[in-house]
Amino acid sequence: MEYPESRTSKAAPLGEVAIRVDHLAVQYRSKVRSVEAVRDLSFEVREGEVVGFLGPNGAGKSSTIKALIGFLSPAAGTCQIFGLKAGTLEAKATIGYLPEVATYYPFLTPLETLKLYGKLQCLKGPSLDREAKELLSLVGLEQAIRKQNRALSKGMLQRVGIAQSLLGNPRLLILDEVTSGLDPVGRRQLRQILKDRQKKGATLFFSSHELSEVEGICDRILLIDKGSLIDERVVLDLKDALRKYSLRFTGDAPMFGLAQQWSESDGNWIAEFADKERLLEGIDRVTSAGGKVLDVVSQEGSLEDYFVETIGRAA
Amino acid sequence: MKLYAWGALAQGVVLESVRRKDLWVVAILGFLIMMAAGTLGFFGMQGLQIFVKDLSVSVLGMFSTIVAILTAARMLPDEIKQRTLYPLLARPISRFDLIIGKTIGSVLVSWIAFLVLAALTGIALLTFHVKFEPIMLQYLLCKMMGLALTCSLAVALSAYMTPAAGATMSFILVFGSSMITRATMMAYIGAAPELKPVIRIFTAIFPEFTLFDLGGRVANLNWAPVPVWVVLFLFGYMFFYSSSFLGLAWLKFRRQAV
Repeated sequence: MEYPESRTSKAAPLGEVAIRVDHLAVQYRSKVRSVEAVRDLSFEVREGEVVGFLGPNGAGKSSTIKALIGFLSPAAGTCQIFGLKAGTLEAKATIGYLPEVATYYPFLTPLETLKLYGKLQCLKGPSLDREAKELLSLVGLEQAIRKQNRALSKGMLQRVGIAQSLLGNPRLLILDEVTSGLDPVGRRQLRQILKDRQKKGATLFFSSHELSEVEGICDRILLIDKGSLIDERVVLDLKDALRKYSLRFTGDAPMFGLAQQWSESDGNWIAEFADKERLLEGIDRVTSAGGKVLDVVSQEGSLEDYFVETIGRAA
Repeated sequence: MKLYAWGALAQGVVLESVRRKDLWVVAILGFLIMMAAGTLGFFGMQGLQIFVKDLSVSVLGMFSTIVAILTAARMLPDEIKQRTLYPLLARPISRFDLIIGKTIGSVLVSWIAFLVLAALTGIALLTFHVKFEPIMLQYLLCKMMGLALTCSLAVALSAYMTPAAGATMSFILVFGSSMITRATMMAYIGAAPELKPVIRIFTAIFPEFTLFDLGGRVANLNWAPVPVWVVLFLFGYMFFYSSSFLGLAWLKFRRQAV
C-alpha cells in the first residue's frame, strides 16, 4: 500500500533548531573491515517538538544518537545541538540523555548515582539533593532511593536512567529505547513525564520500538533503515493517511477504481475506502444509483503495518 | 568546576571500591602480618628487628602496589564494558576529565589500602618495641607518590590493552623496574656503539619505580631521613611521569568510539 505524501518538517513549529544533522555518515572500522552504520543522513528537529526516531534493529538509530552526544566522530557530515557542534561541553550542557542499555554503578544507590551525575553538571549542595529526590519520586523510586543499584530490577534501573536524564531540567532530551524494561504502569508514568517536560518547553528526541508509545507522544516521526532516512511524517497526518473508511449500502452502485475492496454480506454491500474524498464519492455513487447508505465506519490504521510496509518497500 | 567534577568521579570510585569489599583483602592481609609478627614475638625473637621490618615493608609495598594496579587497570575498560560510561560522558565533562577523575579515585583507593596496611603493620611492629623514626614518615610519603605513579601507568596501559594485559604489563614494569634497569646496564656494556645512544635514551625515559621505595632505609637501623630536596625531586619526577602516562591514555581515549 502506498501512503500519500504528508507534510514533513515544514509543519514543525518555528522554534530554534534544536538538532541539525547534515549529511551525517558514521563508520565503524576494524582491522578487517569497515561498516557504514549511517550514510548521508540529514534532518532537523525544532525546539519544542517531540520526534520519534524509528527503524528496525541495526538501522543506525543508536549510532546517530551517539554522534549527537559526541560518543563517536562522524566519518562525514555534521551534527549540531542548538547551533553548537555536537559533543562539545556547551552542547552537552543542554542535553539530558538516556542510554539504550541502563547500566549504573552497581554499588551506588539511585540517590548517590543521581548526585554523582548532578555534580558533573555543576549542580551542588542541598538543591542537588532535593532535585535528585524529587526526580526519583517522580519516576516512582521513592522507596528504593537507598537500595544499591545491583538490587534493582531492569525496569527500576530504567527509571533511574530516566531520572538522571531529567537532572538539571535540560532543554533537549535524547532518549534511546526509552520504554525498554518498563511495565504498563511505568510506560504511562513516563508518557506523562515526557508530556509535562514538553509543556515546559523541552525538546524530545527518542528512539523506540514501541510504536504505540510513539503514536501517543510524538509530533513527528523519522523512519530510518540501513543508515538512511526513508520517511519523515507528522504523526497526525500519518494517522489520517492510515485511516480506512467502510461503507455499508444496498443497491448496485459501481465501485470500480474507487473502493480498495468491496464484498457482499446478507444482501448488503460493504466497500472500503482509503480516504475521505473517495468515501464521499462512493456515497454519491450509491445515492445516484438509487441505493441506500446503511452505515459508515471509520477505522484507525495500524502504525505497525505502515512501519513494516515502508521498511519492506525500502529493502 | 573541573576540580569539583574530578572529586565527584573519584568519590564514586572510592565508594564503589569500599562497598565492593575490595579493601577487605587488605584488612585480611594486614591481620596476617600482625599474626606473623606476633608469633615471632611470642617465640622471643626480638633480635630480629631488621628482618621483621624488612619483611613488613616488603609485604606492605607489594600488596599496596597490587591493589593499585588491579584497581587502576580496570577503571576505563570496566566503564566501557559495563556501559556506565555513557551517562558520564553525556555530561559536560571531557574525556580528559574522566581519565583524571578515575585516576584520582584509583590513587585514593590504593592510598587507603596502603595506609590501612601501614597502620596494622605499625601495630604489629610495636610488639618488637620498634622505635618509630622520621624516615618512616618519608617512607609513607614516597610510597604514596609511587602508588600514584603506578596507578597512572596502569590507567595508561589499560587504554591501549585489555585490562588483563594492562595489569600484567604494569606488574612487570613496576616489580621488574630495578631488574630492567640492571639488564639495560648490562646490555649497554656489551652493546655495539651505534646501539648505545638508543639504550641511553631508553634508560632516560624508563621510569624508575624503585626510587619511591625507601623500605631498605626503614628496615636498617640508624638511617637518617633523606634530604627534603630529594623528596621534592621525587614529587616532580612522579608528577612528570604521571602527567605523561595520563597524556598517553588521553591520546588513545579522546577519539575512541564508545
